[in-house]
Amino acid sequence: MKTPRRPAALDGEIEFPDGLPGFESHQRFVLVGSPDFDPFTLIKGIGRNAPAFLAIDPRRIDPAFPTKLGSRESLRLGAQAGETLLWLALVAPKPDGTATVNLRAPIVVSPSTLRGLQIVSDEKVYRLDHPLKAA
Amino acid sequence: MLVFTRRLDEAIVIGEGIEVKVLRIGREGVRLGVTAPPEVPVHRREIYEQIRAANTEAAARAEALAKLASRLAKQKPDDESD
Repeated sequence: MKTPRRPAALDGEIEFPDGLPGFESHQRFVLVGSPDFDPFTLIKGIGRNAPAFLAIDPRRIDPAFPTKLGSRESLRLGAQAGETLLWLALVAPKPDGTATVNLRAPIVVSPSTLRGLQIVSDEKVYRLDHPLKAA
Repeated sequence: MLVFTRRLDEAIVIGEGIEVKVLRIGREGVRLGVTAPPEVPVHRREIYEQIRAANTEAAARAEALAKLASRLAKQKPDDESD
């Protein structure tokens, strides 16, 4: 599967109706891309004390990463059939300067509905802390 | 906490459209079937907690993350081929 050419960013606010685990009360985010930090995307919460996250398309880490959405998630996103969804895995900075990527619970965003959610599944193929290695 | 005794194939109903049914009772555990509208998130608690911990570790101030991203982007040249 071809990875997107541009850093993932969308104009407009993304609504996460359930928030993100640990940040359930923050439901509005914007996605910021920049040539400075391509291929990363900043997921920035809107409002006071809103969290921000760094993310990367999981297919940049593993080209075989499955980007198939379950029917419940698809309904919750309101995604259209055949729509190209945005997939983002959260990057966690480590104190030693390295970083890991959460490939187990990716975030998926529908560009048509501007709605997003984080996938919480018991699938254990991928790690919550996959090492982010320089290519 | 409400406590119920349920047997195989018996269920409890929560609000409108949510049902939790006992599908199997085994030595290792009880298999439950949950019927809920798609807008109601249903998760295994311990998995949700693991993701909550991972998210908490990943969250930071936007400025700090932008700096980190620039540094990581330099380490990780765009390996895309056309």
